[in-house]
Parts: sequence; C-alpha cells; structure tokens
Amino acid sequence: MLIHRETMRKILSSFTDGRGFDITLVVFPMAFLLLLSGLPLVYNVLMSFQQVDMFSMGTFIRPWAGLQNYIDLFNQPETRGILLNTVIFVVASITGQFLIGFGLALFFWVNFPGATWLRGLFLVSWVMPGLVVGAVWNWMLSGDFGVFNFLLRESGIISSNIFWRSDPHYSLWAVILANIWLGTAFNMILLSVGLAAIPKDLFEASELDGANIFQRFWTITLPMMRSTIGAVVSLGLIFTLQQFDLFAGITDGGPNNSSNVAQFWAWDLSFRQYDFAKGAAISVIMLVFVMVASVIYVRSTRHEVRG
Amino acid sequence: MSDSFRNRLMLLAAILLAVVYLFPLCWMYVTSLKSGSAMFATPPSFLPSDPQWSTYVDVWTSRNMARYLWNSLLIAVGAVVLISIFGSGCAYVLARYRNRWIDIGLFLVLLLQVLPPSLMITPIFVGFSQIGLLDYPRLSVIIAIAANKMPFFVVLVRATFMSVPMELEEAALVDGNSRIGAFFNIVLPLARNGILVSAILIFMQAFGEFVYSKSMIQAVELQPASVGLNSFMGPNTTEWNKIMAYSTIYVTPILAIFVLLQRRIVSGLTSGALK
Repeated sequence: MLIHRETMRKILSSFTDGRGFDITLVVFPMAFLLLLSGLPLVYNVLMSFQQVDMFSMGTFIRPWAGLQNYIDLFNQPETRGILLNTVIFVVASITGQFLIGFGLALFFWVNFPGATWLRGLFLVSWVMPGLVVGAVWNWMLSGDFGVFNFLLRESGIISSNIFWRSDPHYSLWAVILANIWLGTAFNMILLSVGLAAIPKDLFEASELDGANIFQRFWTITLPMMRSTIGAVVSLGLIFTLQQFDLFAGITDGGPNNSSNVAQFWAWDLSFRQYDFAKGAAISVIMLVFVMVASVIYVRSTRHEVRG
Repeated sequence: MSDSFRNRLMLLAAILLAVVYLFPLCWMYVTSLKSGSAMFATPPSFLPSDPQWSTYVDVWTSRNMARYLWNSLLIAVGAVVLISIFGSGCAYVLARYRNRWIDIGLFLVLLLQVLPPSLMITPIFVGFSQIGLLDYPRLSVIIAIAANKMPFFVVLVRATFMSVPMELEEAALVDGNSRIGAFFNIVLPLARNGILVSAILIFMQAFGEFVYSKSMIQAVELQPASVGLNSFMGPNTTEWNKIMAYSTIYVTPILAIFVLLQRRIVSGLTSGALK
C-alpha cells in the first residue's frame, strides 16, 4: 500500500493537470491486485507457520506451529522424490522446448512465402486448454492402444509397448513429453522475434570475412540473441512451474508419486488430504523459486522496464 | 537453385513439420470419429473409414455439455470484462509516465504475473471461505482468474499504449479536450486492436481454466467444461472416442478464433512478452 501511495504522490507533483484521472485509473487495479494476489501471498506464508485443518480453517487466529510444518514436510518419505521430480520436470521440459523451439525458429527464419502464417499455426498447442492437451496425450500415450507406442514400434525404436502412464519409470516422462509439445511453439515464436531483430548487415559483413555458417551462428546469432534467450528460458521456467493441468490430465501424479511435482503436490495436500498448512508450506518454497525466475526474466527484458 | 524452387521446397518442408507437430490435434479429431472397436484396432487407421458423427450428439446430451460450456463462457466473459476494465487503465498509466515509481509498479505487475495458480489456490481458497465468498463459487473463480491474469494483460496492453504517439493526446488536450475526453476519444480507439487481441488471449486462457474451478466449485451444475472433462476421464476409462469428441467440441471454437485472428494474436503476444 505504501508503494502506490508514494507513486501517487510522485504523479501528483509532476502532473498537476488531470492527476485525479490517472490516480483513478491506477489505484483500483493496483488495490485489486494487492488485495487478491499480494495479500494471499502473505497469507500463504502465515498459514505455513500455523496449524490449519478443517476445523481451524474458519478462524484467523490459529495455533502457531512455527517451523513444524516445514519439518514434517521434509520428514515425509515422498518429499525427496517429489522435489527431484520437480527438478527433472523443469530441466527436461525447458531443454526440450528450447532446443526444438530454437531449431524451428532457425528453420522459419529462412524467409519463404507462407512462413509467418505456418509458424503462427504452431501456437495452437499453446492456446488449447491444458486439460484437453492432457486428455489427448493421455490417449496417445496409452499402453496397449496408444498411437505413440504404435509409431515407436513401427519405426523399430521399441520392441514392446511402454506403459507410459502406469510404469513409474516413464510416468514423469509422459508429462514431460506433453509439456515439451505444449511449450515448444511459444519458445519458437519468441525466439523468431529475437532472430528477426538481428541486423542483416552483420551477417553480410562476416560472410565477406569468410566466416562459415557455424562460425556465424556462434559469433553473431548466439551473442545477439542473449537477452532473448534469457527471457525465453526464464519464461519457460515460469510456465513450467505453473504447469498443473497436464498432471491432472495424464497421470494424476501417480503411480505412487512417481510423476508428482511440487506444484501438483501442493494442491494435492490442500485439496485431497485437507492439509492446508503443508500445502501452504510447499507453496511458499516453490514461490521463492518462481520469484527468483521472475526477477531473472525482468532483468533480461530490463531495457523495456527502464524505458 | 532458383528462388521459387527453393521457396516451394521450404514451404513443403514447413507443411511437413506443421503436420508432425499438429499430429496430436489431428489424432483428437480422428479418434473422436471412430467407433468403439475401430478405436482399439491394431494397426490404428489414420483416417476413420466409418465416421461416427452421432458420437458428438451422444456426448453433447449425455455429458450435459451445454451447461458446462455455458459455465465456462460465463467465467471467461466475467474474467475478461473485469480484467479489461481494470487492466486497460492501469496499463495506460504505466505506459504514459516514466519515473522510478512507475518502474516499481511495473516490477510488481511483472512479479505478480508469474504466480502459479496451483500454489495460490490454497490461501485464496481459505481466505475466500473465511469471508464467505465461496458461497458464490463462479464469482470466486472469476475474481481469482482476474487477479492471476490481469498482470499479463497489463503487460500486453501497455506495449500497445506505448505505440500510441503521445503527441496525439497532447493535441487533443490543446484542442480543449479534458483528460477523460482525450483518453476515451483518442487514446482508447487507437489502442483498440491491441486491447481486443489481449482480451481474446485472456478469454482463451480463462475458457480453459482448471485449477481454480476444480478447487472452488463443488456443485456439478456450476462447473465449467474443464472440470467436466476431468470428471469424464476416470482412471480406467476406455471411452476415448467420447472423451476426444468432448475435447473436440470444447476446443474447436477456441481454435477457430485463433486461426482467424492468428496474425494479430501472435504479434500482440510477442510485443508484450519481449520488447
């Protein structure tokens, strides 16, 4: 609250004309955001230090638990596996999305008629409801009748069916596959924008100097793309940590937590086991990571923020 | 190699890539038209020989899809209206001025943009139930979505306002317009396209929203289509043709909007997220 009162004062002094108008425009949305995003954030931290169950849910003054929720959380046998899964999910998803997305962006960089339109078409994966994407991949990855297994068998990559959803060794990878598919297009579109912004004469100059295509990629394309890549990777991290629907749609975190990740577990703890305090505790831990990612994102697009 | 030949070769390769990439979508449509036995045939047929159009009618009535889609529409429209009204003004102010406080405001917006719904739902659910808002579950979901998606909208629309020349607004002020008059008569019409595209993006996301609806709406008759799809997919379901038909009915309107407005949506999206 302090911040935007200060903001207001600044605007007030520098723009005497029509100041009430600007204040009206900005104060309601900011209050709305702080009340419904900022306050829950703080409340989340508070709840993670309290004892919260179905009975004490209705009151604000609950028994203080201190760090007990966090200690209990880390003493649970499944915690290590779930945190490890989260890391694997994030790293594998971002790597896959980025590499395939970059490849496609480089391909579409070669300008030909229809390139822009076809490239845009890829983005349908991103606008579809996550749960529908989950349903489609759930069916494609079905063990006995899934078309994915069929294609793998036909191309000789596997000899017997992989039970993607029910085999604990593969269940996490089933969700990762779907998530890579879902996010690749978004990566590609953003990387395409970065590629288009590189001045063409840089390449012409280095071509005259005799640099081959790989040298040009390493010495011009990659360095010029640094801020775009930073933004894309941190956005990928943010979106990957937001991914929930695919877990609900494909494996439901199972079997036996083998495909469970922190953001799904937080919800599961709160809404299936009604352990809101632990749900809040794991949320707090994850939110710290998300915040770090967002700071990296803001820094890599800083020239915009600074103006 | 002539240019036109190279172009045609590239186009062919691009179409091939698109077909491979969009295969899951095609598979949804193909499966939705298969009969219960054709669905489990090995090898699977990639074009349904005997399309079962009746599945759509069957799923539409038996799953009560009209009600689910109506709820989705209600939630999405509610969220879009709330976000557009609040977000446009906020984006305008954030775009018009340059100072340290605006920077801080912008930083806050960007920070709030990244909060995952599945992590925010715990405090929101407990808080909403304490103030009694959960008695109006669809409204609760609308508010929660609005709070979660508004920063994204602000970032996109701010980029649009930045591209509106400030001189135009100043000229209107010199001509005797009030700030309000200049905003509604000059600035908003010029930014209309950007606002519309961002609103459509928000609409598509809110139309498919799942976490908040699943957690806060207990009554079946108030649930949106995403929750309906989730309860349709039991752990051991075999009705995949029906589930795919459900999905088809659910996503086809969204896909149609997207394909029609593709260019604008893509350019609106990229201007906000990167530059």
